Amino acid sequence: MAESYQPGDIEPISGSYVHVEVEGVDHRIYFEENGPEDGIPLLCQHTAGNNCQEWRHLLTDEEITEEFRVIAHDLPYHGKSVPPTTQEWWTEDYTMTAEKFTETLVNLADALELEDPIYMGSSMGGNIALELADWYPERFRALIGLECGAYSPGFYIDWLDHPEVNTTEVNAYACWGLMAPQSPEQTRRETMYLYEQGATGVFKGDLYYYSVDHDYRDKLDQVNADECPLYIANGEYDYLTTPEDGRQTAEGIGEGATAIEFAEIGHFPMSEHPELFNAYIREVLAAVTGDREDALPDVLEPDDVGIELHQRGPAREKTAE
Amino acid sequence: MPETELGTHEWWESYKETVNDDPEMDVRGHDEFSENFYVEIGDERVLLEMDGGEIEALVPNPTMNHQWSFGVEGDRETWEEFVRETPPAFNHEIIASHYRSAVRNEDGHLQLTGDNKRIFQHLRAFQRTLDLMRVAHNDGGS
Repeated sequence: MAESYQPGDIEPISGSYVHVEVEGVDHRIYFEENGPEDGIPLLCQHTAGNNCQEWRHLLTDEEITEEFRVIAHDLPYHGKSVPPTTQEWWTEDYTMTAEKFTETLVNLADALELEDPIYMGSSMGGNIALELADWYPERFRALIGLECGAYSPGFYIDWLDHPEVNTTEVNAYACWGLMAPQSPEQTRRETMYLYEQGATGVFKGDLYYYSVDHDYRDKLDQVNADECPLYIANGEYDYLTTPEDGRQTAEGIGEGATAIEFAEIGHFPMSEHPELFNAYIREVLAAVTGDREDALPDVLEPDDVGIELHQRGPAREKTAE
Repeated sequence: MPETELGTHEWWESYKETVNDDPEMDVRGHDEFSENFYVEIGDERVLLEMDGGEIEALVPNPTMNHQWSFGVEGDRETWEEFVRETPPAFNHEIIASHYRSAVRNEDGHLQLTGDNKRIFQHLRAFQRTLDLMRVAHNDGGS
């Protein structure tokens, strides 16, 4: 990792709570940020069942936070955004829908008074870029859907919320293979650790949106990427929304949609291999801001962004004889 | 176990040693993993009899006299990909590979069979046991 800290160092990330109304209910939403107050807002959405800590390495990237005001939040019921105090939320299963998800994001952007922000999210946060471009294209400067597809079936699994299953560990390691084995073991394990912090039923509830509610196979023509540029960036090792899924989705949308493959990385790029992801995403952000003259390539490789992979899988030392 | 062919007796014995020496199989409840499962490489099936997070016995060609909770099946080429030091995308982990078979109906991937509840009750220990095939095959990895 490029980051190196000494005892006493304080990272430049600050955390706050903002109150946001969603479906008529007040929610106390936690968010972290770093970057200049007048920087381009970059609103970052975590993956299903996780929290804003997935973005901690982007939040401390000196180059990116020089230009962008990076903001990463916890959705209600995730991380430090506790459930609403006015609701008997324990009497019903938590379920995420496209309508609730987009309303949360737009109302959060409004509450924070973000002017012309870039939205970026991964997995469920990547898929929702399509609904945002469909329903709220005027609210964002650009949308970056990481691990995004028109349809991502098969992950709304009952065992992820079952009393006879150790869901703390299962909700994490059901996702183990979503990461590239050549990503550093420390950061892959940290991604699993973050997953193990989720509340009962929240991961599965998010996956209702991800694998059931979200289906744009027959309505990609409704995605207004011509009005709000949409970048779809999927990792080589993402078996749920593959790079090919990303290409087909962008092709179906047409004007304004760009697909790019991130090589040698998976479904949690920002947390499974932060150094490589930050280098990749700088290229995409440069395309958004117009600082990049050339079109983005079909595939970005580590060599293209000056990253040398040091560690190959499987990362384990054989026990000394 | 460098240069030993996947699925030979020598390979399985070295693999057993790797699993039984693995520190992650001793923690987080993985030492409660006592569900037998089989691995089918092409036409060759081997039963792994598990006891307390360790392989107690390897049984080639198990019969109706044996018991297992679940299994993994795939052709030899797929397993060869799975145990590569850096495996190719989608055959790099059991859930990934099964997903491409079961949900996306693609060939050339591994398929889980048996009791899904038991699989999820012991998911990490089972997954780790399979990942250790890669460690054993590549002499501990790099």
